[in-house]
Amino acid sequence: MSAASVLRVEGLASGYGPLQVLFGVSFDVRPGEIVALMGSNGAGKTTTLRTITGQLKVTSGSVFLDGDDITRTTPDQLVRRGVALVPEGRGMLRDMTVEQNLELGAYVVRDREKVREAFDRAYTTFPILAERRDQLAGRLSGGQQQMLALGRALMSNPRLLLVDEASLGLSPVMTETAFDLLLAANRTSGAAILLVEQNALALDLAHRAFVLEKGAIVDAAEGDVVRHMQQRLRKAYLGTAPDLDEAP
Amino acid sequence: MKPSQALALFAAGGVLAASFLVGDVKLSILVGVLAVAIAALGLDVLVARVGELSLAHAAFFGIGAFTTVNAGDRGLPWPLAILAGVVATVIAATIAGLPSLRIRGLQVAITTLAFQVFAESFLFTRTDVTAAGRELVRPPFLEGDVQLYCFALVCLALVLALRHRIAVTKASRSFFAVRDIETRAKCFGVEPGPTKLLAYALSGAIVGLAGAVFAMKAGSISAKEPFLLFESLQLVAIVVVGGRGSATGILTAAFLVKGLSQFVTTVPIVDLEPDRIFPISAALLLVIAVVAFPAGIGGVYRVIGRLVDEVFDPAGARPDPRPQPVDPAAAEHAAALRDVPRAVRLRVPTPALLVADAARVEYGGIVALDDLSLEVRRGEIVGLIGANGAGKSTFFNAVSGLGPTTGSITYRGEELVGLSPARRSALGIARTFQDMGLVRAETVRQNVLLAQTWLVPTPAAAGLFGLGQSVREEHDLRRRADLALELFGLGHLADVRLGDLPYGTTRIVEIAASIATGPELLLLDEPSAGLGPEESHALADSLLALRAELGMTLVVIEHHVPLIARVCDYAYCLESGSLIAEGRPDVVTQQPQVIASFLGRSDAATGGVSA
Amino acid sequence: MAARLITGLTSGAGYALVAIGVVLIFKGMRILSLAQGEIGAFGFLLALRWSARGVPGLGWHISPFVTMVVAVVVGALVGALVERLVVRPLATRPPLDALIATLGIALFLALLEKEMFGTAAHFAPSPVGDWKIELFGATLTAPRVIAIVALAIVAFALWLFFTRTRFGLGVLATSGDPVVARILGIPVTRVYRFVWIAAGALAGLAAALLGSAFGGIAPFDMTRFGLSALAGAVIGGLDSIWGAIIGCLAVGAIEGVVGGTFETSGTAELAVLVLVVGTLLVRPRGLLGSEAAA
Repeated sequence: MSAASVLRVEGLASGYGPLQVLFGVSFDVRPGEIVALMGSNGAGKTTTLRTITGQLKVTSGSVFLDGDDITRTTPDQLVRRGVALVPEGRGMLRDMTVEQNLELGAYVVRDREKVREAFDRAYTTFPILAERRDQLAGRLSGGQQQMLALGRALMSNPRLLLVDEASLGLSPVMTETAFDLLLAANRTSGAAILLVEQNALALDLAHRAFVLEKGAIVDAAEGDVVRHMQQRLRKAYLGTAPDLDEAP
Repeated sequence: MKPSQALALFAAGGVLAASFLVGDVKLSILVGVLAVAIAALGLDVLVARVGELSLAHAAFFGIGAFTTVNAGDRGLPWPLAILAGVVATVIAATIAGLPSLRIRGLQVAITTLAFQVFAESFLFTRTDVTAAGRELVRPPFLEGDVQLYCFALVCLALVLALRHRIAVTKASRSFFAVRDIETRAKCFGVEPGPTKLLAYALSGAIVGLAGAVFAMKAGSISAKEPFLLFESLQLVAIVVVGGRGSATGILTAAFLVKGLSQFVTTVPIVDLEPDRIFPISAALLLVIAVVAFPAGIGGVYRVIGRLVDEVFDPAGARPDPRPQPVDPAAAEHAAALRDVPRAVRLRVPTPALLVADAARVEYGGIVALDDLSLEVRRGEIVGLIGANGAGKSTFFNAVSGLGPTTGSITYRGEELVGLSPARRSALGIARTFQDMGLVRAETVRQNVLLAQTWLVPTPAAAGLFGLGQSVREEHDLRRRADLALELFGLGHLADVRLGDLPYGTTRIVEIAASIATGPELLLLDEPSAGLGPEESHALADSLLALRAELGMTLVVIEHHVPLIARVCDYAYCLESGSLIAEGRPDVVTQQPQVIASFLGRSDAATGGVSA
Repeated sequence: MAARLITGLTSGAGYALVAIGVVLIFKGMRILSLAQGEIGAFGFLLALRWSARGVPGLGWHISPFVTMVVAVVVGALVGALVERLVVRPLATRPPLDALIATLGIALFLALLEKEMFGTAAHFAPSPVGDWKIELFGATLTAPRVIAIVALAIVAFALWLFFTRTRFGLGVLATSGDPVVARILGIPVTRVYRFVWIAAGALAGLAAALLGSAFGGIAPFDMTRFGLSALAGAVIGGLDSIWGAIIGCLAVGAIEGVVGGTFETSGTAELAVLVLVVGTLLVRPRGLLGSEAAA
């Protein structure tokens, strides 16, 4: 199983200076699947993502991409190896045009032909972006920015998409739009997706899910069991004590 | 007194006593060092407290020195000559500070640089300015190096006292507010313009005094080297190497940069003349300090102090960073917070506390609020929901006065549109921000005091000298701050830096700070963002308690529907700046247009309402 | 009058070469460098020393043209060094810290120059020949003409760079948001190094042309030129190359006309102060700067 994983994280520990946040996080993402990494605020979700993408130093543990150790790699090497990140808050380059944003998504792609194909793909998937190609990204509506963020991440034709809190600060309806876009991207490009989320709605589209609490994985689910996890999380979110004995 | 403070006093006393033993010639050098140190302390007021860099302080130093000599030469008695020097420098610094009313940070630094260049090539090349050949007659009791040194020490003591007053009064809070949260601070009653000018004036006063000390030492001034750009840069070096905000560090650095070279005849190892190697080392130190030790020498002192304290008190009790259970009595005491003098013009209470009538906000061709009309009644908790960009926060800005608004928004019958943000706070409206409206670099108490700035009518400048009602006002403010912090179980965290607290706690501090102003209407912008399930639940409890115990009316922007469902009596849903639904939360969240715009088809969000 | 204006404009072209470097650094890192003047002067003073006394160890007396090349190369090297050792660690700190650091570097380099080359002015022969041209009554020496030509070439090259190359786009992205740029695979540290090297090289070129145009150069001279360049950059808008060029030409023109017309010393400085403050008060972001430059 592990050899078949696109991304495999084993016993990952890290933190900010003297403050340790992650205490041995392990999970994996298989080709073409959507995995949700759930957890409340401060559980270590974003820290996990930052550590995987080389923005934070690993104290112990390993990260494997297609079986290769990438524990201490830089973000730009990761992009070259087919991993793209949709950062929290969409990461728009607000003063640049839609087209420039997309072009930058393909920064690591040397082959101009492939870049052209990627543009075609992006504009076919999101026709509104083609219409607004010369507009500044900062002038787009929230939903259009979400499309641009996703379209830009897909420009490098990644095999693995890491999505950090796509729902943060979004209204429920916009959250759904964002998730629909991710699902569509997964279906059309076949890219595996790791969703790092607080919002239980993410479990609607996940094939598998892991729950992170205080820097460690405390729960994992697969297939139909994922829906039950949603029930449990929802109750926790509403403030009633989660019924852990509830039969799956 | 902490052990570290005792040690610091002892060390300072020792250094002071030892300094008298160095001999007359060296003492006269020390007078020069003190003059520069005082100038650096003046620059530090701008750099550390207001976050603005002036590269014209050598020019100010010169204006102070030249004016003092000129005034003395015209026959003014020495205290008046010094006063003239200080006043002239205050005027010059205030003029140089005028551009900061319109521009910020880097650009201000450039305009001060241009001022320095102008001063040295235009002012300091005129003999009527430079006091060439003129002389200041010193009083007999200031003849002699020991006497002059004592005089310089007295001036230093004055400056340190002034800096202390700045640190503990309204001035300090206004300063750090314009440094870190300039726009938002208007809601607290901080006026950025006058505050900045006050900072430039104070900084100028201190530098002017430094110039006067220099003039008293020299009697007459022949060279203009001490007042050139190079010296401005040296002053910056002294402040940064010494550590921004640390008087002891800056004094040490001033001695290292300006004094030490006169005390050693040769530098070991490199075997070079000290007056050649010291300036260049200072430049290098400046770079190293900025890159590797931003806290400077003062930071080193602090670390030593902490270590000393730990030796004497190994337990070193650290407060729990979370709110503590609240003493029921605290709520009763907190009722005193409501005791705020209100403008008498307010009309007889009507059921509707806040009424928006066709309120409209447009900027950059975008209609952010499209003729919105709604009302909030006394004692209600009203929810404001809607997608991102629907105009919820814009509405809060319109109510609190942080954006150009047309139409009408009345509060207890009083028209708000056109009033200043501070005036609206004084009427009884307080708010929080989606992303922290307080200053992370300051303590919880300082922030809660800052929020009450509009409660203090005495200007910050008068407060510095304890004039008018300022002493009583300050005392009253601190009492209110303590009450508000106790109400939220934050009393034990009063002296902790806000930035050192967990996110959830900082949100509670922000609510406590707005409560401290005794508002009747509280606007909360996404209070549950970033809170976990348990914390969200506790938040709902405190919102209900605020109404029950303090009789407040609340408007809450929220995305977290269960919270809305639990606490709100009434909800408004916005889309593109317009109202699309209103009513009881359970009704609003069932309406098709709300579901389409905000909630979406999934039952995840509405689940909380129907459950 | 016209002659003074033209001469002033050529000085302005020299300032603009420095100012373009300031703008590049600001675009790439949101940092305002006050050290560009000295970075340029250091290389040129070193080259003049080699020209007068020979390259240490080799004894070659380098030709005037080579002094310019040395100034450019040393400027680029010092820029790279400053970026690596000083500025990169400050990239994530408040912008005022980096400003103070570059101030320290300016101070350090100026004092080092004083230590190494003495306080006297060094005669600087023209690196681009001794010819002159007459234009509207102004006699322009070769370095002044070349300054204008070099400015045109540099401006055109940078326009191509930002609109036609991928790396140029990467520099723009880094200036928009370095964290996002890194995530997209743009080698952000290489962008930082590039802007400092380019700015250092431009400062060296400017020092060689301005130094020889004014007949000689002493330590702290370039501080003055650097300040004029900075004034021009601020007037034009800190993140606009075209703005910097316009601003510097304006500053050069004012210095030429006002400085040459009035006897009172400091009148030109007063005029520049009024122009800088006036521009910023009316338009805090400068003539052509974006909102981020305000």
